[in-house]
Amino acid sequence: MLEELLIFTRGGLILWALSGGGAQASPVDALIRSGLLEERPADGAGFSLDGKRALNWAFDNGLGLVFVAVYRRVLRLLYVDDLLAAVRAEFARVYNPKRTSYDGFGDVFRQLHLEAQARADEMNKFKQAPIKPRPPSPVPVPLSHNDVPKVPGDDGGNDGESQQGGSDGESGKEENSGDPEPKDGGAFNLGILHRLRIKVIPTKDINNVNGNKNNNKGRKKNKEKEGTHRKLDFSDPVDGGKVTDHVVVKKGVQGQSQVDTDENVGDGPKAEGWFSSVFQSIAGGNTVIGKSDLQPTLKALKDRLMTKKVAEEIAEKLCESVAASLEGKKLGSFTSISSTVQAAMEEAILRILTPGRSIDILRDVYAAKERERPYVIVFVGVNGVGKSTNLAKVAYWLLQHDLSVTLAACDTFRSGAVEQLRTHARRLQIPIFEKGYERDPAVVAKQAIQEATRTKSDVVLVDTAGRMQDNEPLMRALSKLINVNSPDLVVFVGEALVGNDAVDQLTQFNQKLADLSAVPAARLIDGILLSKFDTVDDKVGAALSMVYVSGAPIMFVGCGQSYTDLKKLNVKSIVNTLLK
Amino acid sequence: MDEWIRQAEVWVGQAESWIRQQPPEQIYIAAAVIALTILVFIAASCLKSSKSNTIVLSGLSGSGKTTLFHQLRDGSSHQGTVTSMEENNDTFVLNSEKERNGKVRPVHIVDVPGHARLKPKLDEVLPKAAGLVFVVDAQDFLSSMQDAAEYLYDTLTKASVVKKKVPVLIFCNKTDKVTAHSKEFIKKQLEKEINKLRESRNAISSADISDEVKLGVPGEAFKFSQCQNKVTVAEGACLTGNVSAVEKFIREYVKA
Repeated sequence: MLEELLIFTRGGLILWALSGGGAQASPVDALIRSGLLEERPADGAGFSLDGKRALNWAFDNGLGLVFVAVYRRVLRLLYVDDLLAAVRAEFARVYNPKRTSYDGFGDVFRQLHLEAQARADEMNKFKQAPIKPRPPSPVPVPLSHNDVPKVPGDDGGNDGESQQGGSDGESGKEENSGDPEPKDGGAFNLGILHRLRIKVIPTKDINNVNGNKNNNKGRKKNKEKEGTHRKLDFSDPVDGGKVTDHVVVKKGVQGQSQVDTDENVGDGPKAEGWFSSVFQSIAGGNTVIGKSDLQPTLKALKDRLMTKKVAEEIAEKLCESVAASLEGKKLGSFTSISSTVQAAMEEAILRILTPGRSIDILRDVYAAKERERPYVIVFVGVNGVGKSTNLAKVAYWLLQHDLSVTLAACDTFRSGAVEQLRTHARRLQIPIFEKGYERDPAVVAKQAIQEATRTKSDVVLVDTAGRMQDNEPLMRALSKLINVNSPDLVVFVGEALVGNDAVDQLTQFNQKLADLSAVPAARLIDGILLSKFDTVDDKVGAALSMVYVSGAPIMFVGCGQSYTDLKKLNVKSIVNTLLK
Repeated sequence: MDEWIRQAEVWVGQAESWIRQQPPEQIYIAAAVIALTILVFIAASCLKSSKSNTIVLSGLSGSGKTTLFHQLRDGSSHQGTVTSMEENNDTFVLNSEKERNGKVRPVHIVDVPGHARLKPKLDEVLPKAAGLVFVVDAQDFLSSMQDAAEYLYDTLTKASVVKKKVPVLIFCNKTDKVTAHSKEFIKKQLEKEINKLRESRNAISSADISDEVKLGVPGEAFKFSQCQNKVTVAEGACLTGNVSAVEKFIREYVKA
């Protein structure tokens, strides 16, 4: 049963609701915040809020309206897309920008609902014979204000196709409904990307094979090393025994950390001047953008994004979402389709990259200081992305703000990791908590936090070992570390050089953190640190891929290998670079 | 040099003789058209330089800006609102003043979405603002206090707001609910939070190249009275129609 169907303007006013007065807007609010504003394209499966209800939506871009249907997920109503399209067509006839109440629409809706249900039942009867799975066909082009709408009966043929597309999407979703779903954006991302992965099988297999090879090698090496590791353990004993080197390292004073410098990027020249706006109001645009018009421009944009190293799936979904938001819109005169599409894409990317919540770490640190607890930041990531180096940069930045920092060496696996961190600690003259190698990182972290609380340290930076995202035991260990210690911030360090793998890394990390946690409210990745940014000139696509997949904001950008090379992300400059 | 002067004299002579040749009516008409165009430009620039009549509604997502917008325009909040994805932009006569006789100047109100991802939209509208209404949810205040303070801090330190001395009204919405806080409490809490933000943001230094303006007096706790632009606090409830404080604010700065 359809629980709710809302029609509202893009500015936020509800025009009509199926449930009359007490319209519950909260699931729709969640949809807007995590789905629509993050440019997730609408697909047959719909957006799932809490596992119980699913939402499907449709846009009418010419009039600036949004249609959302909410229903119980268990029921898998197949006619929802069809119904939304019909409602959209009918409402477009009645809509008047000045009017704000549409009570008469209730009867029209009931009729449409019955018709849609009837059509769905008919389709079910025809589906006795096995049908080849067809790719989901596009939603029928919305009718403009002036055209006479098609009689619902004629829509039968067209909608039959979209029906099957919808049902294919549904069956794909069924397989994944067994997955335990973490809350919020996590569920949506994983569901979609799971299904996408079924399509994109070749690249995924390669990744898998590589991952497996690494696993095997790692395990073999571990077994060999066990016998000889005692001899190779050069870590200094913690209780102040014989110290092998007496090198006194001078504190490196290297100047201002670049995080605090603000870069101002001017906007590109605005296309609309007074002249063209006057002409637009006189001449008036009457061409409505159709799907076929968008295709060539979108394809060109997608290729351009991919040359900037945006992951292919992400570029595809972004283009789909921009197409959905432009279809049916009136084209202004003196503006070409390509400039409209470009502007829409720019706005979409700007929206994705703008953080959805405050990323002011300093304020959170001060808040934790008031509560007399240290602020704990955990750095996670795959092998070799620069966790330890960037951890030291963050420590340097925090020191410049007169905060006391403690390092926790929870990378107890890689040889030399503890020494590396110790050297950083000596250069920065901050305390480091270490227990040598072959210890349980979760326990080391816990003790480090207790020590930091005792010495009234403001921030604890926890370094972890790099691990591949499909290495189950290591991911389990990481999940345990995070859940046992409940850090304030989990930062995923990703390198800017990565291409399509960023999508896989982040989804897997988030998924494993959610699956393998013992508590129902699992901690996921809170922020991203983009490292090695100076090595990519303009191929900055990894930033967009990572933010899109995880929904987490980019908190820092590492742009070099010395202590001061840490910056904040300049969203405008990335947008300009991506679309140049 | 003399060459040039001589050339110029020749040209002036030619122009004079050409003008003498034209029938006088044409010259008068041409002169009149030119004078008229100049007059029109002067009038247009005079009108533009007069105070703009734009009021901007901003605040966190869910504080009630869209409801306030519709209450001001239509006198009712219709069937409710959802999170705005775009701004609401309209020029209208305030609903409470529709019955007034005589000429009432319409007000241009822009309701900017409060969602964090749509923050850049506020920057586009601020330069034209004659006044800013910052809507705060008085009922759910404590959980959103930090975010509200940060948003307000960012707004108050923008150069466009401070230089033009844009007046700000902090409107505490949803006071019809039982658990709503009073406006004095909200004012004090916001001042405290902004003070904390001030300390953490100004703890660095000289290398700060942003156009931020330093808020408040160094060494003293922050108070809204220290701002260069006027900041006032008021309360009301949009759902019940109690928006008179906002209307008064609007009328104060957009003369009828």
